[in-house]
Amino acid sequence: MRILVVEDETSLRAQLETQLRKAGYAVDSAADGEDGFYLGRENPFDLAVVDLGLPKLSGTDVILRWREAGRRFPILILTARGRWQDKVEGLNAGADDYLAKPFQAEELHARINALLRRASGVAQPILRCGPIVLDIGARSVQVDNLALDLTGYEYKVLEYLMLNRGKIISKTELTEHVYEQDFDRDSNVIEVFIGRLRRKLDPDNRYQPVETLRGRGYRFALTCGDA
Amino acid sequence: MTLSLNTRLLLASSVVLAAFLGFTGLVLDSAFRASADTALRDRLQGYVYALLAASDLDTRGKLHLPAELPDARFSLIGSGLYAQVVDSTGVSIWQSKSLLGLAIPFTNIPGVGQREFAQLAVDRDLPLLSLAFTISWETNSGSDRRYTYRVAENLVGFNAEVSRFRHSLWGWLAGVAILLLGVQNAVLRWSLAPLRRAAADLRAIETGQAQRLPFDYPRELRQLTDNLNGLLASADNHLKRYRDSLGNLAHSLKTPLAVLRGALDGEANDTALRAIAREHLAGMTQLIEYQLQRAAASGRTPLAAPVAVKPIVEKIVTALSKVYADKNVRVTLDIENSVTFLGDPGDLTEMLGNLLDNAFKWCRGQVRVSAQPMARGALHAALDVVVEDDGPGIPGEMKSRVLERGARADETTPGHGLGLAMVQDTVALYHGELALEASPLGGLAVFLRFAVA
Repeated sequence: MRILVVEDETSLRAQLETQLRKAGYAVDSAADGEDGFYLGRENPFDLAVVDLGLPKLSGTDVILRWREAGRRFPILILTARGRWQDKVEGLNAGADDYLAKPFQAEELHARINALLRRASGVAQPILRCGPIVLDIGARSVQVDNLALDLTGYEYKVLEYLMLNRGKIISKTELTEHVYEQDFDRDSNVIEVFIGRLRRKLDPDNRYQPVETLRGRGYRFALTCGDA
Repeated sequence: MTLSLNTRLLLASSVVLAAFLGFTGLVLDSAFRASADTALRDRLQGYVYALLAASDLDTRGKLHLPAELPDARFSLIGSGLYAQVVDSTGVSIWQSKSLLGLAIPFTNIPGVGQREFAQLAVDRDLPLLSLAFTISWETNSGSDRRYTYRVAENLVGFNAEVSRFRHSLWGWLAGVAILLLGVQNAVLRWSLAPLRRAAADLRAIETGQAQRLPFDYPRELRQLTDNLNGLLASADNHLKRYRDSLGNLAHSLKTPLAVLRGALDGEANDTALRAIAREHLAGMTQLIEYQLQRAAASGRTPLAAPVAVKPIVEKIVTALSKVYADKNVRVTLDIENSVTFLGDPGDLTEMLGNLLDNAFKWCRGQVRVSAQPMARGALHAALDVVVEDDGPGIPGEMKSRVLERGARADETTPGHGLGLAMVQDTVALYHGELALEASPLGGLAVFLRFAVA
């Protein structure tokens, strides 16, 4: 999952980046509204965290312009002033939730998780697909009730595929959602991750959870029930 | 360009005055001229009749005029009054002595019984008005003879009279105009004096020499000065509230800061230190939030326009429905479009935002907002607002405690009591009341009542 952070205060931005990376997200950031708007318009983010009081272009305007440009990713706004007027304005501009500064890291993660889940249409933080159980909150995967040891990137690839289950995901799309912008991308790496995931999830080749559609991409093929 | 009121009034009334006096002058001038002219013509006519009366025909039908004429001026050379009688061919039969040595260019011979006036001039210094009158005289032999009597009078005297009148007329009018303008200027200065005074009084307030505008302004300005006083008072209140909040904030932050410092120095256990820091950071955040919200509320200001309640509620509900999208809250609005709140829209948004946030947070799935003008007051300032939910509500004995600053009914969901306390403060600014009741929906009902100011 790739997240955009638009926050003008340097130390808070750095803190957010660190926290979110530690939590396993790919993070891009911008220090003002114009940069933020540009990044959000040009890249397929899964979520944006936007401060309302931004230089050059206010947070509300950034959100309005993203929505006008057809960007649909969920947006979490941060407000320094606890005023309802600001919150209501931001939410009605197109944001999905707010968080008043100062906030605790746990609270931020809870909100981000909830928004990501809501955006993918999953009501619960736990997704069961056949023998595979994905716990988005804990960022853990179990197969047949056994915890699976995945690297950060492997987890990100699996999470994206499972949240978009049934859809065909191209390598490019997968790369864009798993990596940050200035990462040196190599689509072969994705093939390697998929191979490793298959071996870890389904060593006996019984379920075949990830299909390869030649020239088009991958698809998570198991049916899931929220629970 | 912006002209001063004084200049505008003075300019406008001067133009009107000048036009009026000028027109009056023109009318008087031409009336006088016309009447002098008529008098002159009547006089000429009179001379002709006198000459006719003095004329006599001898037996041979020859016209005679006596040596002594009715007006002595006919006999004085160059007297300014001249007469001549010509026959039908224009040959002079008789002329007055006064005409000696002068060649008046009489030309006209009107028909019998006709009068003809003409302006003549012998030279530049001698303008004349002449009258020619032709009569037909029957001689003893029965034949008709036509004679034309011509009389002319010097116009110098007439012109001098007219111009004398004109001089004195315009002189007087100019005098009156100057006098009136002076009076008018004085009247204007006197009438506009309160405005100048208001400006001076405002300057005094600006420089800190006065607190309020005095109350002895003329009726027309009272509305304005009273409103200004109201604005000054509300600005003062605002400032005072900010100062108080700042003082309270600084004061109340000292305790948690002292605790933190003490813990830093005394607490060796890292986990305990973290717990203490976390607790007090949360407390300080709340304090700041509370005091800032309180200070930012503007309260009822004079000149506040009525604010429609429904659009504000709708905006907040739309926003909160997103935040609590997972709960699928059903919101019922019982608000007429015409319901208004007399005050600051920001204050209303803060109050309703806090109340609705609580309602969304605590409800099981239903929230109701109703607002209506208070039954007895026809004035739009009176307003009742109720925000209800179907949540757990607040038990009776907790209701009063929850309104105390910072107190929380449920310690695990922060901000509930804080929001209510803030709403209560703002309601108090509007001299309104806040009451907590049990809602028929099953949860809490918060009543807000804003009375007429």
